[in-house]
Amino acid sequence: MPSTAKVVPLEPRPTPAPLGRVLRVVTKPVSIVWPRPTVDEWGRDKRLIEVISPLAHLRWDVSVGGHQQLPKAAALIVINTRTMALTPLSTALALSEALGRPVRFVGRPDNIPFGPFLRRIGGLLALADEIGGALRAGEIVLLGAQGTGNPRHAGTVDHTLVAAAIRENVPVHVAATLSSMFSRGARVEVSAALRSGRNRRGPLAEVELAEHAQRRLQDLLDEMGGTRTGIRFGWFGEG
Amino acid sequence: MGPVTASGTSALRSHRIACAAVTFCLMRGQRVLVSGMGSELGSLVASVLESQPWVGPIEGIDVDPPRRRLRKAVFHRIDPSNRARVLEVVTRFDPHVVIHVSVWEPDARVNTATARQLTESAAVSILGAAAECPSLQHLVVRSAAEVYGRARGSLTRPDESAAVAPTSEFGRMAARLEDHALDVGTRTGVTVGALRMAPILGPHVPSPLGRLLRLPAVPFSVLADPPFAVLRDLDAALALVAAAKVGLSQPVNVAAPGAITAWQAILRGRRLPIPLIGPEWSIARTVSHLFGAPVPEHVVETLHRGRLIDGGRANDLLGISPATSTSDVIDSLYAWPSVIHLTGEDATLAEVSVA
Repeated sequence: MPSTAKVVPLEPRPTPAPLGRVLRVVTKPVSIVWPRPTVDEWGRDKRLIEVISPLAHLRWDVSVGGHQQLPKAAALIVINTRTMALTPLSTALALSEALGRPVRFVGRPDNIPFGPFLRRIGGLLALADEIGGALRAGEIVLLGAQGTGNPRHAGTVDHTLVAAAIRENVPVHVAATLSSMFSRGARVEVSAALRSGRNRRGPLAEVELAEHAQRRLQDLLDEMGGTRTGIRFGWFGEG
Repeated sequence: MGPVTASGTSALRSHRIACAAVTFCLMRGQRVLVSGMGSELGSLVASVLESQPWVGPIEGIDVDPPRRRLRKAVFHRIDPSNRARVLEVVTRFDPHVVIHVSVWEPDARVNTATARQLTESAAVSILGAAAECPSLQHLVVRSAAEVYGRARGSLTRPDESAAVAPTSEFGRMAARLEDHALDVGTRTGVTVGALRMAPILGPHVPSPLGRLLRLPAVPFSVLADPPFAVLRDLDAALALVAAAKVGLSQPVNVAAPGAITAWQAILRGRRLPIPLIGPEWSIARTVSHLFGAPVPEHVVETLHRGRLIDGGRANDLLGISPATSTSDVIDSLYAWPSVIHLTGEDATLAEVSVA
């Protein structure tokens, strides 16, 4: 036999406390400005990069070439860097824009406030395991050679960091970069993947790959030409 | 590893189906013991196990009764310090698989000291008793991403090969539990799998991080605001059951896809963000504690240094990967089911006929 259960009427819902109303009003503009999460699994903030990109364009006008040779999957790109020129950062932003996908750069510090800020724009720690993890996740990672004072010289490449690419079995490219302290013009030229003639099983593999990358970088820089004034600091006014 | 061709993929799929069929036949009717069945996660694990065809009898142990209705599982309310009773119940059941969820996160249900004591007591008594069972084949342990630690210079997104170097009490508890389980595995010859999980959140999960994020005003580290990943409670339960099913024999990271920062989580929840720089964190922790949301060491570490893990191998090892993204987990945290208050007229309309 069906029986009927009556729902007990409850008191009307109380109006929100004044504090709750105030909080909602205060946080509303902020939540409209930036309501969605934008960091990826490595902490790179796409929205922040969209915000700072115009500022980067004010400083650098980068023309990128050879990026069609990069694979759709993971790759390690070794670039030459000039001391105090933020080359990895400008190159990563330019390549990222050209490729339409995130490009991470190696060399963020792990202290406040620079570390967290650089992580937001794609920085990774200079650790082989960190680079290996990013490569395993299919990311493009940019590794700077040792900084030099002369933009036409390729510094040494850290073989312990290049080892990550060998471990993860991803191609290594080099990219020559040229920029100037006095002008906006900058250039990035990406090469085809490096090929090693030897098949090493031991640690010589990464040492030789790092040396090969440095040599190829120097070749690319030489091919890019430049002024030959004969003066010792002639490169100073380039660009 | 070479590229996988279409025919290779097909062969791989056929091989997996064949393996799954053999496994199913061999595993049918497995006795599964769930320690910590009274917790939100433990009862969810038991609930998922009840729907698994390979699972036979299910029994559970905890100090608190289960938080959801279980139809098949048998629950024993035993204090983990009562070793004699635990030994009696576990050896009588003689499980094939033990899923050890009896891990108390500091300031989730009890304070840090009690959490440490209960976790260690449960590990000693329940895993010790399980080691005495002749049928035991496999042990699955709920561990935590905190085992990797967040010291300066530590990896942003450690994978399973990263060194275990905890820097918080919860991380040390989880690392000790893994060691204990491995010791049991080595002595008895059973396989041991540890699931290093990102912070587990959900609307009903007692979690210090979740409780903090739900406060009306939430402190966050304005200079760092690092990213962290979380894990939905159901995904955690499914991963534990999958680990039991496949006989996981190594540690594996489990985290929801994506990441979020505290600032972004606060904005998603429409809370008031309180930016902090450093020294005032001790005051914020005290105030938060007074409001019923204590902030333990590992949560402060998450908000200061971030908590990301590389969960890329979970799909290969477990056959599943978390379906709910980190931002959706955070949204569900804020989406409390509303209480619908009916007026007198509505209540009359809403009379329910019970057959």
